[in-house]
Amino acid sequence: MLKATIVVKLKEGVDDPEGKTIKHSLNLLGFEPVVRVNVARHYEIFIDAPREEGEKMIEEMLRKLLINPVIHEYEVRVEEI
Amino acid sequence: MKVAILQMEGTNCEEESYMAFKEIGAEPEYLHLNLLRPGMLEDYDMLFIPGGFSSGDYVRAGAIFAARLKAKAWNELRKFVEAEKPVMGVCNGFQVLIELGLLPGTDGISDVPEAALATNESNRFECRWVHLKKERDSIFSANVPDRIVLPVAHAEGRFIASPRVIEEMEAQRQVVFRYIAPDGSKPDYPWNPNGSINDIAAVVNSYGNVFGIMPHPERAFFWYQHPDWTRIPRNRGDGYYVFESLMRIIEAKNR
Amino acid sequence: MKLRKITDGVYEVSILNATEEELEEINETMGLALSIEEMKKMQEFFREMGREPTDLEIHAIAQGWSEHCSYKSSKPVLRKYIFGIPSEHAMIVMQDDAGVVEFDDEYAYVFKIESHNHPSAVEPYGGAATGVGGIIRDVLNMGAKPMALVDPLFFAPPNYDGKLNPGIKHPRFLLNGVVAGIRDYGNRVGIPTVAGMTYFHEDYVNNILVNAGCLGVVRKDKIVRSMVDAPGIKLVMVGGRTGRDGIHGVNFASKVLSEKSEEEKQAVQLGNPILKEPLIHVVLEANDMGIVYGMKDLGGGGLGSVVGEMCHAGGVGAEVHLDRVLLKEPNMAPWEIWVSESQERMLLAVKEENLPALEKLCKKWDVEMSVIGESISERRLRIYWHGEKILDMPLEFITAGVEYDRPFKIKKVERVQELPPEPKYHNVFLRILSDFNVASKEWIIRQYDHEVQGRTVIKPMQGIIGFESHGDASIIKPVHSSWKGIAITTVANPHIAKLDPYMGALYTVDEAVRNLVAVGARPSSLSDGLNFGNPEREEIMGEFVESCRGLGDAARVLGTPYVSGNVSFYNEAFGKNIPPTVVLMAVGIIDDIRAAVSSDFKRDGNHIYLVGSTAPDMGGSVYYRVLGAKSTVVPEVNINKTKELSEKLLKAMSRGLVRACHDISHGGLAVALAEMSMGGDVGAEIDVGAMQHMRSDFKLFSESPTRWICEVSPEHGEEFASLTGAVRIGTVSGDSLRIRDGARWLFNVSVEKMRTVWRGALRAHLG
Repeated sequence: MLKATIVVKLKEGVDDPEGKTIKHSLNLLGFEPVVRVNVARHYEIFIDAPREEGEKMIEEMLRKLLINPVIHEYEVRVEEI
Repeated sequence: MKVAILQMEGTNCEEESYMAFKEIGAEPEYLHLNLLRPGMLEDYDMLFIPGGFSSGDYVRAGAIFAARLKAKAWNELRKFVEAEKPVMGVCNGFQVLIELGLLPGTDGISDVPEAALATNESNRFECRWVHLKKERDSIFSANVPDRIVLPVAHAEGRFIASPRVIEEMEAQRQVVFRYIAPDGSKPDYPWNPNGSINDIAAVVNSYGNVFGIMPHPERAFFWYQHPDWTRIPRNRGDGYYVFESLMRIIEAKNR
Repeated sequence: MKLRKITDGVYEVSILNATEEELEEINETMGLALSIEEMKKMQEFFREMGREPTDLEIHAIAQGWSEHCSYKSSKPVLRKYIFGIPSEHAMIVMQDDAGVVEFDDEYAYVFKIESHNHPSAVEPYGGAATGVGGIIRDVLNMGAKPMALVDPLFFAPPNYDGKLNPGIKHPRFLLNGVVAGIRDYGNRVGIPTVAGMTYFHEDYVNNILVNAGCLGVVRKDKIVRSMVDAPGIKLVMVGGRTGRDGIHGVNFASKVLSEKSEEEKQAVQLGNPILKEPLIHVVLEANDMGIVYGMKDLGGGGLGSVVGEMCHAGGVGAEVHLDRVLLKEPNMAPWEIWVSESQERMLLAVKEENLPALEKLCKKWDVEMSVIGESISERRLRIYWHGEKILDMPLEFITAGVEYDRPFKIKKVERVQELPPEPKYHNVFLRILSDFNVASKEWIIRQYDHEVQGRTVIKPMQGIIGFESHGDASIIKPVHSSWKGIAITTVANPHIAKLDPYMGALYTVDEAVRNLVAVGARPSSLSDGLNFGNPEREEIMGEFVESCRGLGDAARVLGTPYVSGNVSFYNEAFGKNIPPTVVLMAVGIIDDIRAAVSSDFKRDGNHIYLVGSTAPDMGGSVYYRVLGAKSTVVPEVNINKTKELSEKLLKAMSRGLVRACHDISHGGLAVALAEMSMGGDVGAEIDVGAMQHMRSDFKLFSESPTRWICEVSPEHGEEFASLTGAVRIGTVSGDSLRIRDGARWLFNVSVEKMRTVWRGALRAHLG
């Protein structure tokens, strides 16, 4: 069994209103030193397939659904469990 | 004109859209993604993707709808677009067309999205009316007056694309409507409700047959749907003219 | 506690010979939330049966007898005052999950308001979302298409800086979470949120209130009842799967909130609007095809109370196979399946020959279904688990429940009113405009989609685009081919009710009428959301009794029945109770929406009239709170006057005499004028000299009932005044609000300044 950990985040330079709002709230709560918050999506996808096939599938998943290349970048880690 | 109104779980503006097409004399039909079979699309003259929260907007607004549509009928859809039949998406439907790569479509159809409708600058869903300026005629806007008002209701409507794509879009005059301040000046929030680049509210592809719009013309079809009808008399809602434009063009073509 | 295993997941519990202490232990261990008397009643029942109960049987009884399901504390009082108010148009009143009232020859409207307080206090986002989901199902299961949502909310002020008890969250956090929950659910499911209120009072710090209401419309011949009245009808579960979420939510709702509540998060269910949306399609399409024999949603109490109530109402019994219920997680015990409050589930009663059609529909919409049993002629409930019978009881015993005539005490409040020195008008006016109960709620309202479905013809915010201010009620136009409209509003005034629950109830009904009439609608019917503290305290029960008496007295005179409603008790924590909070969802009918009136001033030069009379009763007013002055003298409501004046005003409106109208409530005359000015982006010059003689500040800020401000064009002034007895107090003009009392100027504030203050006050503390 494979476990793919995928983090999808906004590209540098794409405005992140959610991160900004959270930063503002944290400042309000007294965490004044917080200067920036980035929000990312973290997917854990479990795949019952051999490694090579699984990695190919993940590439496809990213392309077909999980990211929009205009605004997103991503990191993938695949491990056998 | 037979119009397919695509549905999946979470689309929720299909009824008022159906009503709008019916009123202008088209023949709208609901077509659920689960019931879409090969060869079905070609029976229609137009494809309409209504607003809503398809699949809850999980992953990204419109992404799951687009992925499933692509998996089911991508080749047919391509053919539909290449045959220059009209395709229109409102709000979530616009998001779907972007995710499909059919919009902005600076060079026809793109395999990967060339733009995004990102989270509003205000970071929240907002339902409010906006002023729009018509930038060009198209089969979707020929009969629309130069200045109209329509409602927006979305959390992800900030039009973003690379400077190159934006430049191409502008050069090809693909922007159909822009947000504008009531006095005609460049809009700040809330007149540009989401922070879209160049105040872009609606675009058409380079062929001129695929149209995406964030505001909801189908919710402003009748005069009494306007928020200020107790102040300003109108014969029709401003959104009516979008549908009327379509009907005229199609009718003329069929004649 | 002695247990004997019967089969996997089912135990026999020894209660026949249990001592009082042992019964208490069973009650506690199983989380039943029953009283010792109720435990004994159950023991007695099984002694008569001559056998020990299964754990499932005990849970089923506890569920049926919970306050939430049985209304055991409130029913005798409701019966005396609230039920049975005569009405020409009401069709189904206080029987099924929502009330049904005639709209026109062909259609009826269906609506209800309900509370979801305790779960929202623990998990505001999920709790509020679930509240919305639940109320939608209540309307849906009458066969109606849900067309409008409302959401009255009650919090401590968002700038609260007092001590918070353990487990209690800050009101700002709660408010943000609740608004997000309502937004994400309501918007996703595609039903417009057209009305509501957000009310602030320090006494909600331990117990917030989240009420949600829904209105739908159904063709009269398509109304579905929540009952099965013949044997052999299949019982089908449609929609979401059953899980451990929301187990004991009902008992939870009937319990006093405590520090422990945080650990009880599992009792909060999680809604899924993306499951609900297709479920709505399945249910409405099935109903259109005429294959739905009966239907009820699985809300509080889960499958257990739904099967019981549906069959009990129709005089039959039921046989259920719990192993046929589709589960989210394996290894759930039968009792868990029976009481689970997982969301997005409906129970449909369907004749066997119609099952294939239902299956087809479910397939189209990707919705799961499972036939779990059928009705039987014997009025008993029998439950099987893999073929083994694990529950066998008369339905009557479970569903009829218990009732209490709880003792109550009505507190007498001495009538005193301080007379503070006259204020600096300019300053005090701006302070009132920025009071949280007056300030703009736009930040909240706009996060809810109030336009979806395209039926909202008078919106919650009214005026020039981008400058809108608060309206009194929204109007939807439900039938395409008809100009007839439905006006919807929600009201509550806990500050007045806390001083005098009876007068507070009258005031609330009066305000409901004011709001509906302000947009040109005739009041039609009401749904009552009654939120109170712990009814086991005599003074709280006294507040409840007085409130109900007031509601009954008012509605009888007006001829507007309560067709549905909900009681939420035990809004108590750390020894503190909420103020008595009567929330009304009120519905009015307007024969032609083209005659509807909005609150924004329309044109420079038009005349401004005050309808109704003003009294110097300042108890419960925003003005006195802002000053810190004391008064227990609450505004006096004469409900006959309410009826008489509202009819006169409606007549003037039907003649087209009124260009704008706004009721006078929180903050008094001055605030109403300010809102009308901001919405129309135009000022007004006002002279209050023509009003009854009293202090100028009382004229401006009194919250006397049964009053409206109307804008009338000069040529209609005389006709309007003679019809309504109104006095002219000024003219729409300029770009500021300028008020004098005879020769003496009180204040002059620009529209721009008012807008900045009014918009900014609450906004500064949110999101």
